[in-house]
This record gives sequence, structure tokens and C-alpha cells, in this order.
Amino acid sequence: MIKKNKFRTGLLIIFGFIASSIIYSVFFDSHVRQVQVIYDENMTPIDAAPFEPSIMFPLGTDPLGYDTAAKVLQGAKFTLISAIVIGILRVLFSFAVGIPLAFYMPEKIRKALDQLLSSFYFIPLTIIAVFILSPILKEQIKMPEMEPYFIYSFAERVVLEIIILTLLVVPLLGSMIGNMMASTLKEDFIEGANVLGASRWRIFNKHVMPHLLPKLVIVWCQQCVQVLIIFTQLGYLKLFFGGTDIDFNPFMADPPKSLSNEWSGLVGNYYTYIQANPAIALGPILMFGVAIYAFQLIAEGFQIHLQTRNVKRTSRDKKMKQKNETIRVQQKFEFLQNRGA
Amino acid sequence: MKIAKKLLLQLLLTVLSIILISGLPELIINKNVTAYFEKVKAVFIEMVRLDEMTYFNQGTERLFLNDIWGPYFYSLTILFGALFIAFCMAQILTWGTLMLPSIIRKTVKNFLTFLESLPDLLVFALVQMGIVLIYKKTGILVSNVASLGADDRIYFVPITCLMILPFVYFYKMMILMTEDEMGKQYVETSLAKGMRRLYVLVFHVTRNTSEGIFHFSKSVLWFMISNLLLVEIIFNIHGITHYMYHDFRPEMLAACLILLVIPFFLIFALFEWTIMRYSKRGEAL
Repeated sequence: MIKKNKFRTGLLIIFGFIASSIIYSVFFDSHVRQVQVIYDENMTPIDAAPFEPSIMFPLGTDPLGYDTAAKVLQGAKFTLISAIVIGILRVLFSFAVGIPLAFYMPEKIRKALDQLLSSFYFIPLTIIAVFILSPILKEQIKMPEMEPYFIYSFAERVVLEIIILTLLVVPLLGSMIGNMMASTLKEDFIEGANVLGASRWRIFNKHVMPHLLPKLVIVWCQQCVQVLIIFTQLGYLKLFFGGTDIDFNPFMADPPKSLSNEWSGLVGNYYTYIQANPAIALGPILMFGVAIYAFQLIAEGFQIHLQTRNVKRTSRDKKMKQKNETIRVQQKFEFLQNRGA
Repeated sequence: MKIAKKLLLQLLLTVLSIILISGLPELIINKNVTAYFEKVKAVFIEMVRLDEMTYFNQGTERLFLNDIWGPYFYSLTILFGALFIAFCMAQILTWGTLMLPSIIRKTVKNFLTFLESLPDLLVFALVQMGIVLIYKKTGILVSNVASLGADDRIYFVPITCLMILPFVYFYKMMILMTEDEMGKQYVETSLAKGMRRLYVLVFHVTRNTSEGIFHFSKSVLWFMISNLLLVEIIFNIHGITHYMYHDFRPEMLAACLILLVIPFFLIFALFEWTIMRYSKRGEAL
């Protein structure tokens, strides 16, 4: 297994979040505690919601007294799992696009296609995502009856959002992975395999894949980070994962609500408190930061592992070292001729 | 000439893909492919006759091209300013950092990984809060934290917000690339010849890393245009994305994106051309 502290810490944070969130929903039914007023022992009220972060409420509470930390915990599984799924899908789709690019296209056509696909560098992802996802995720209203409705059902909304966030990056990522593969195909050992009569499948399976797979893991981490960043931005623009519940009541409309307490919803709901109660607004965004940092750590740790995996310390080395050390401790002094050589 | 042809083709394709994408919301609302193509056709016609395109502002219909130039150049100033400052600061700091011993460099890199993972929204929030905090403590208002309407223009805050993360990205990328380059043999040779480290760094290594940085800057820009939308909404700035977001029609989206893309496209083409000439001359030597 990979023995890099960075890698382990990152993995631990992500799985810790997901596991605790699932446990919380299975055993405690994701109950979010609500405290509106705190009394002292004489039953005189001493404080009212929203509370600042304290030992009782690690991330504070919102103005209605709901515990933000519990909400964050409840939403972690939706946000993180969907980010991971979108990351995997992005890499898989782009991989599928990259294979024909690298294997079946002559160099010239590949370069030309690369140029064409790079026009996508100028199409900002978030802006496009906002425009495409708005009709899907925002609750619409039927005008004469004043009846709110979604165009798509909940499952459709989630699936469509995942598909759209995946497909928008496939052109760029696909050409990137195609280039990676093509540069592996140019290595000397591929020529050797070709001379020995290896089939295309064998070259792909036995020679290209072992080189590509570790790189894909790193690309996957970067994509997860990107997805999380897009979630924060969409959240700020009130487009929540799985749909935004908008109150169309003309008098005293409630603010837009997220259907499950996933994090982009929390960001969008609480950002308005940024000046009055910064703690409430910053909590969910900070959690995004922690998750992003965890993915970065995984990528970096994995990269270090790749660079140093062949420099392995064998068990024999260790034994020799131990032996030498014990000898050194036992003797008060040692002859130079006994040392080394 | 060949390059110009290629660039023109690429620009056309970018415009075409923007138009195709901007029709997508129609497809999603109506779940109907013919409606989508009709919308794309309509958008295309609007783009060809951009000078006749109109939009609604406070109930009156106005010509798009009459109103857009002011906000457009305002947004471009913010974007370019941020990109330029981020790049220059990162370059200077990279030279400084590379003169330090490797233990400090390692700490700097770890710290940069941490900074890299700050979500952009958090950065904006912190800048916003920081300015208010400074004002509360000292009474000095560094800059307005929000713009009040179309005529009130703020520069300091949006540029600061937009430049922080690109600066971190550039800085980290430059350190990694320069360190990679420093291990090469020509650096050793020139150091052995007695050239000063700073001289080699500034005049030889930087030239060789510039191509990689240039390609990297494309993805930074990609990220910055998305951020521009957020910054303009958060600070109530009357820039080009204001039109895009508040109008919310496919025509408007396509028109604004195309306007935003063209200057960057030209600048990148210019840089690519210079770098190609530059590196070709290097090969001939």
C-alpha cells in the first residue's frame, strides 16, 4: 500500500466525512438539533440564535437555531460522493475519447483535432453550467395557477446535472489524455514490442495502461477539486445539487432552499450572513476548502509515491541496518577496518 | 500566412461552439430537438446582425451595441489587470524563492498547496470581510466594497479578488517548472563558468520555462472568466456579465461570450506567434 502521509491524510479526511455522514443518517436519521434560546440555571435566557461557534456548536447555528455542523455532516455524503462520481465519469469518458485519438489517428489529424478542441479553452465552464443548469435545477412556476413545479423529476435532475458537468469538460480532458497516450506510444519500448509482433490490444493493455493508470488517478483528483469548486460557485448562484426549492409566495417569500442539506445549498443559503454573522457563512465554505485540500493531498502524495516507488527499502537492508546499529551500541569503540567495506 | 489561416479557423470554431452551446437551455426546457436547432439558427442570425440586437432595460428596449462598450471595457480592465498583476508578482517572487535554500522552498510549496485549495468564494468573502474589518478598526476605507450602480466604478477590490488565486497557481507552477529546469546541464555549466545564479535564472531559465507557463496561463484564464461572473455579482459591478446574467437569453449569452473571447484570443495568438519565432531562432543556433 501507499505509505505516504499526505496520501493517507487526504484519504482519511474524505472517507471520514463520507463514513460519518452515512453513519449519522443510518443511526441518527440525520436529526438536526435546533436550539433557539440558551438559559442559565435560573431559567433566565442568556443567549439566542444565531450562536457563534463554540464547543456546543462547532460551526455555530443559523438564525433559526439549527446546528450548522449537523447540517454539514448530513450533507457531506451527497456532495462528496457526487463530486467523486462526476470525477470518475469525466476521466472515463475522456479516456474513451482519448483512445481513438491516440491509436487510430495519424499524427497530423490528431494535432489538427487538438487545435480545434483547444477552442474550448475560451468557453468558461461555470458560466455555461449556470445557463444550462438553471432551467433544470430551479423550480419554475405555472403562471395562472401560481403552482410551482420542476421540469424534471428528482432523479432526472441529479442524473442530468452529473451528465452535463461531465460532458462539458470531455473535449478538453479527452484531448489531454489522448496526448498523454500518444506520448507513451512514442517511447522506445513500444517500438520494441511492435517489432516483436505485439498486437494493438497487447500494446494498449500491457504497455500503455501501466504508464497511464497512475496519471489518470492524479487527473481524477484534479477533476474532483474542480467539481467541488464548481459546486461552490453554483451554490452561490442559488443552483443547488438536486434542485432549488424556490418560494414564490409574493408576501414574505422564504429564501431559496436546498432539498437535501448538501454543501452548495448551505453555501448559497448562508452567504448572505457574511457581514452580520461571518461564522455561519464561512462554515460550509471552509468545509469545501477542507475537502479540496484533502483531494490535493491525495494527488500530491500519490505523485510522490510514483516518483519514489522504485526506491524501495528491502527487508534485508533494514535487517543489516539494525544489526549494524546493535553492534555499534554494544562496542564502546570500533576499529575502522570493521566499519563498512 | 498559414498560421493566420489556422487561427481564423480556430476563432470561427470557438464562436460556433459558443452559439451551439448557448442554444442548449432551449433543448432542456422543451425537450425537443427541432426547437433547439431553430433557437441555434435564431441566435446565429442575431450574431450576424449584432448591430440590430436589442435588450430590455427597465422596461425600454435599447440597442445592445450602444450600451455595451463601457461595461465591456470595464470588465476587460479588471480581467487584464488581475492577470497581469498576478503574472508579474508570481514571476518576481519565483526568482526570489529560487534563491532561497531548498528547505524553505519546500515549506513554501507546501503552503502554496494549502492556498491552492481555498475555494474562490472563500477568498472573495475574506477580502470583503477584511476591508470591513480594517475600516472598523482604523477608520480607513481601503476601497468601496460594492459598486453603486452603473456609473460608480471600483477597481481595487475586484482586481484583488480576481488576482489572488491565479497568482497562487502561477507561483506554484513557476516554482515547479523552474526547479525542474534548474536541474538541467546547461544551468550547471553556466554556474560552473562563474555566472551568478540570479543572472542564469532571469535570463536563461525563464526563457525556457516561458512556453510551458504560456500554455498553463490558458487554463488560468479559463478559470478567471468564470470567476469574473461571481466577482461582478458579489460586488454589484456593472460589467459585461451583468448583462449576461440578468438578461439570461441565449442571444445575450452568445454575444457577451464572443465579445469576451475575442481580445483574449488575439492576445494569445500574438504570444504564440512570438514564442514560436523565438524558439525557432533558438533551434537554429
